[in-house]
Amino acid sequence: MHVLIVEDEKSLHEEMRQFLIQSQYIVDSAFSFADASEKVFVNSYDFVLLDLGLPDGDGLTLLREARQNDQQEASFIILTARGDLDDRIKGLDLGADDYLPKPFSLLELQSRMQAITRRKFGLKRQEVAFGQGFQMDVTGRVLRHGEQEVPLTKKEFDLLHYLVLHKNRVLTRLQLGEHLWGNVLEDDSDSNYIDVHIKNIRKKLTPFAPADFLETVRGIGYRVAE
Amino acid sequence: MRLEAKLALFNALSKLLLVLLGALVIPPVVSRVAVSHTDQRLHEKKQEVLSLIARDGLAAFVRQEQDEAYADYNILKQEYITLTPEQGPAVALPEEKVFDEQRQVDKQVEDFRILSYRFLAQGRPYRLEIGSSLATVELLEDTLRRLALWVLIIGALLTIATDAAFARFLLRPLGELITRKLRNVRHPSAFPFAPIPTSTTDFRRLDDSLNEMMRQIQSAFEKEREFMSNVSHELLTPVSILQSRFENMLQDPELSHAHSLKIVDSQKTLYRLRNTVRTLLLIANIENEQYLREDTVSLSAVLAEVINELDDRLAQRELHLRVQLEPDYVLTRGNHTLLFTLLFNLVSNAIKYNRWGGNITVTGQPLPGHGYRLAVADTGPGIAPENLPHLFDRFRRFQAAGAAAPEGYGLGLPIALTIATFHEATLTATSEVSKGTTFVLEFGAGQQSAAAS
Repeated sequence: MHVLIVEDEKSLHEEMRQFLIQSQYIVDSAFSFADASEKVFVNSYDFVLLDLGLPDGDGLTLLREARQNDQQEASFIILTARGDLDDRIKGLDLGADDYLPKPFSLLELQSRMQAITRRKFGLKRQEVAFGQGFQMDVTGRVLRHGEQEVPLTKKEFDLLHYLVLHKNRVLTRLQLGEHLWGNVLEDDSDSNYIDVHIKNIRKKLTPFAPADFLETVRGIGYRVAE
Repeated sequence: MRLEAKLALFNALSKLLLVLLGALVIPPVVSRVAVSHTDQRLHEKKQEVLSLIARDGLAAFVRQEQDEAYADYNILKQEYITLTPEQGPAVALPEEKVFDEQRQVDKQVEDFRILSYRFLAQGRPYRLEIGSSLATVELLEDTLRRLALWVLIIGALLTIATDAAFARFLLRPLGELITRKLRNVRHPSAFPFAPIPTSTTDFRRLDDSLNEMMRQIQSAFEKEREFMSNVSHELLTPVSILQSRFENMLQDPELSHAHSLKIVDSQKTLYRLRNTVRTLLLIANIENEQYLREDTVSLSAVLAEVINELDDRLAQRELHLRVQLEPDYVLTRGNHTLLFTLLFNLVSNAIKYNRWGGNITVTGQPLPGHGYRLAVADTGPGIAPENLPHLFDRFRRFQAAGAAAPEGYGLGLPIALTIATFHEATLTATSEVSKGTTFVLEFGAGQQSAAAS
């Protein structure tokens, strides 16, 4: 997967780059509108991560130009810290595939990218295997063990899916909570809910196979280990 | 009461007073006028009679030898003239008197206004009496009185009508100003700047001042919006950098456990900072009318979404939720996302501040007449009366009642209040310590009172 990061804020750019390289993406960089505009038209990318507030131009213009070019099949994800509510609507109208307001979690960014990939290639049945014989049907939102279905609630499925998606990474309760209730502003980080969910997931998995792949990292969070 | 109505009322009252005063003053004045008019006529007649006597001699009227009186009446007995020779000494002549007295004329007794003139002619005193029937005087008086009253009443009615019409014409620009520029304007951004046509300087000045002030307010709003956008960019970008950095650091296999813990803690701090900034932006954006009211929103549908989102928390704390919206309420000009946030905050508070295994009751019913009342009641520890007035203040947290009490009455409620206000609803809270708290949303109540006033 070939990704172009268009972001003029050097430190943020660097963190995104590091994270994506670690996640096996091939990363290209543009720090200005002119730079990005050229790269988008010369190269072909799977993803363009587009900051709207560039010093020498509006990211939305870049998106508009790219969408008029039939050769360019990249998926655009808009990243912005501008408080303007119209941006989201305008961006999606212009054909952006997703919109993440800053600050965003890199994990969330990656899971959005994977969702877009699934949509784009029309993967009807994407199965992810983990643990001892667990099969997760991401599109159908079902967890199976062999032929049997493991009964999980919507939130439990989301939680497990997020952990499986970021296999071998420690996810903090905060990151998990944000994924589950991300669209709602909450001013407390009551992470007990996550602990209870994990406890319940383990309880539901154990009858089928050992759930020890779902590790607790003391004081930090949880991890699905390979 | 409207200015026009007040003017008309005052106008009518003052005219009524004028008519009453007229009714009181006119009769005596008219009767005086009538009497003096009659007296003058009597005098004129006396002069005529005297000049006739001077021309024709007394003999033409009085047969001296027979000592008879001369009398002359007109046919309808409205007037008479008598000339009578008098006996006795002729003292202090001539002498004239005017008085009212009864006289018998042709066997009929009537009231007369009488001018009596005694004078000396050919060495004898004579008395000349000229009378005018009082009935005639009263008739005249009556006619005059009626005429005066009618003129007064018609004049009053006519001026009331013309005054009201003129006041109406004069005040029309003011009325237009009030409807178009004050009553119909819900937010400065919707203010119409087109000048109201008027030739009255005061209204022109009022209109111009309103326009000028509104321009300043709009420009302040615009500046605030720009400021918010900049602040948002300047604050959220560094937060974004740190958040990404912490995420990457946590993935570093070389990182010691102690440092990992510190980073998790820093992440929490950053999360709090981020939410504070976002909350302020949200409130500022709502207050700056950056959200649309274009959705038709059913409260029970939004509530169902909220409960769906929170059912795991309800289950985890073993809370019993009872929802009773009878009937449902549908907002025609609402914002779905904001209303979701509003109800989410109320229900999530009711979960957070509840005892284990407690109850949450959501009830909705129409208000009498107009509007709707939605109440979310919990069975939590309640809020002390001295804290209640500050419940919706931004950034105020209370001394938690117990160690287990979660933080965070801080921002959820100010957001809820801002969203309620955005939808012209009121949000209030009642609470009883150790019994629970009830939050009450009242939709459309403001419109009702506006309609009633």
